[in-house]
Amino acid sequence: MAHPLEPRVANYIAAKLPDASDVAVDGLERISGGASRETYRFRLTYRQGGQDHARKLILRRDPPASLIDTERRVEFEAYRAFHGSAVPVPKMLWLEEQDAALDHPFFIAEELSGFQAAPTTLFAGGYDAVLPNVAERKWTILGEIARADPVALGLDKWLETPAADRCWRRELDHWEHILDTDEAEPQPITRAAIRWLRANPPPPAQKVAVVHGDYRTGNFLYDPAGEIRGVLDWEMAHLGDPLEDLGWSFNPVWEFGRGLAGGLAPQAEAIDTWERASGLVADAQALHWWILFNCVKGQGIWVGSARTFIDGGNRDPIMVYSAWWLLNAQERAMLKVMGKL
Amino acid sequence: MTPQVPSVLVELAGLMGRNAEPGVPDGERANALRLSAGLLGMAAERWDSAADNLVRENRALAALLDDTAAEDDLRVSVLGAENARLRARLIAAHIAAEQAGDAQRLDAIWAELVASTERRKISTAPV
Repeated sequence: MAHPLEPRVANYIAAKLPDASDVAVDGLERISGGASRETYRFRLTYRQGGQDHARKLILRRDPPASLIDTERRVEFEAYRAFHGSAVPVPKMLWLEEQDAALDHPFFIAEELSGFQAAPTTLFAGGYDAVLPNVAERKWTILGEIARADPVALGLDKWLETPAADRCWRRELDHWEHILDTDEAEPQPITRAAIRWLRANPPPPAQKVAVVHGDYRTGNFLYDPAGEIRGVLDWEMAHLGDPLEDLGWSFNPVWEFGRGLAGGLAPQAEAIDTWERASGLVADAQALHWWILFNCVKGQGIWVGSARTFIDGGNRDPIMVYSAWWLLNAQERAMLKVMGKL
Repeated sequence: MTPQVPSVLVELAGLMGRNAEPGVPDGERANALRLSAGLLGMAAERWDSAADNLVRENRALAALLDDTAAEDDLRVSVLGAENARLRARLIAAHIAAEQAGDAQRLDAIWAELVASTERRKISTAPV
């Protein structure tokens, strides 16, 4: 049975391709896992210039309420800025910020098809021989993101540029405010971590860089050879301290119980790879601050997810899954980083 | 567990009913079933021990805070509200101990916080 969105998506694209005829959409289906956007894949067919065309595309639409409240333009522009660079990303096609076409804002992009993203598949055994390749590529690409010039990419037009010595405070203020607003029950471990972070601030950022904001195993596409073919989920992209991204990649919840950074490599190896690619230095004390900060940020996301469900803004089970699976794990991660567990 | 288990089970019941109807796209039905299965598994794991854990934790917190844990109503939701009251007091006590530099008090508070994460741990937790 055809998905009810198919004719609406076809109508939207037909208006974007005035020289095309017989514009049709089929095979539209929701891809599992997305909590901050509804993600669908579909096939677009049309006739243009005397030839038939078929393209595999992705639709990313805002849900009624999200795990992470972000601007879809930020995500769209971040993808667009890195397309064709050393950071592999899908090609963006159209951004729609009004509700009329599909009830909520959305964008449409080329699908990078035939690759995997799920950590469960990556760690199921079949990829064991190429996990070192995945690790090397993962932190090399993150280093490339840190090395990039936000002004040359044009991202300073869309993203606020903080002063180097304000990066940490801006992020901590932001996530503490979310915890203040969204927590459904007191968070004594998270509050203790926040007090420590404020009492022991990191040095100013070495540079104000592009921060992906959610760079972890699970948010990139990999192939059977261990090559990373696409970096996804840029909805929390911003400008800030590049150690923030490195710290998020070392959040213990992303070890998936394997005792390795990102489930892939010893942390020291990942740091070496990142330093080579970025040309930057990961000062141990500063990185420790950013890892603990990212535990607080993670808790802000999981607490926000629970709040969105409780308030009825989005009753999708993914909102509960994030909270039930990760709220306590994130607290244990904080205890580990603080040397209490 | 937050959100509370009963509200989640009610939502899952409705979701299963909707997914039993014809016309739901296969991918969306599969995704809903996969997530529902995971949630039901976590709820099942915590069901039997939920009240016991809250009573134990509330007693431990009350002892630490020189308080009394209310136990006249043993519904999980009521015990959870009492737990929230005591944990809010624990945050205040933690700040006071930090400001006073009371190492012995801090050790006791951290020991209880570590114990609290053990009580709440689920078997599939990544940490």
